[in-house]
Amino acid sequence: MAGIKAKAKLKNGVVSVKALIKNPSMTYNMAEKKTGSRDNADFITHFSATLNGEVVADFSTSQFLSKNPIFKFEFKGIGAKKDKIKLVAMNNHGKTYKGKAKIK
Amino acid sequence: MERRKFLSMTLGAIALAAVPASIRAEDFRKSKPAVWTTKNVMNGKKVTEDGVMAAIKALYGSNSLTMEGVKLKAPDVASNGGAIPVDFSTDKDVKSIAVFQNANPEAAVMVVDVNKYSVNKYSIKIKMASSGTITIVAQGNDGKLYAAQKTLDVALGGCEG
Repeated sequence: MAGIKAKAKLKNGVVSVKALIKNPSMTYNMAEKKTGSRDNADFITHFSATLNGEVVADFSTSQFLSKNPIFKFEFKGIGAKKDKIKLVAMNNHGKTYKGKAKIK
Repeated sequence: MERRKFLSMTLGAIALAAVPASIRAEDFRKSKPAVWTTKNVMNGKKVTEDGVMAAIKALYGSNSLTMEGVKLKAPDVASNGGAIPVDFSTDKDVKSIAVFQNANPEAAVMVVDVNKYSVNKYSIKIKMASSGTITIVAQGNDGKLYAAQKTLDVALGGCEG
């Protein structure tokens, strides 16, 4: 399973999350040059994080994130130590990437 | 009549509760498809700025920007265009934040759907094919579009675009 590596930390009431999605982030132009077909483009289109069923971060993304894109974001008002954040991303072909991060 | 009303209401409530969290957040690729196809390059010619402005208009319906309230940090010179660190934050009360650039074939990079838990402070890494300008636009709940821009040199293009 393709995955997401993530870390989450609680400090002064704010949870900061760092997530890395394993994805080549290949644009249409790169796919055309390297494989001859634009259809081989592979990039993340959507990434979201939920905690206890509540969305804490939500990104709609395009081809122009770096390879293995890294996201850092913060949230507050929810989350305690040892809570698990669920991370789900999807690429342009509908493949899902999943990951979890335990708040430290 | 009362009973029927009650039933339909409960059914409605159940249907609402059953919608998974991932659907409740706005997917900007679905709701605003035009944003993601707005091009920086037209007929082989690079259009400066216009692509970004057109994408902002496609997303928010307006592109009159207020150049304040958003902090944007990116390097002056990026040695590797494949992974340019971009940090942005805002203290304003905002609904969403979008990232654009004018170096790649299309303008849009990312749209953040802000929620009630968000501390609007983000770091991402993006690709840029050549030197260009990054534009961050935050849609305030007061209807204003707060923005920040940064022009940087890219030594080695990142997406061969």
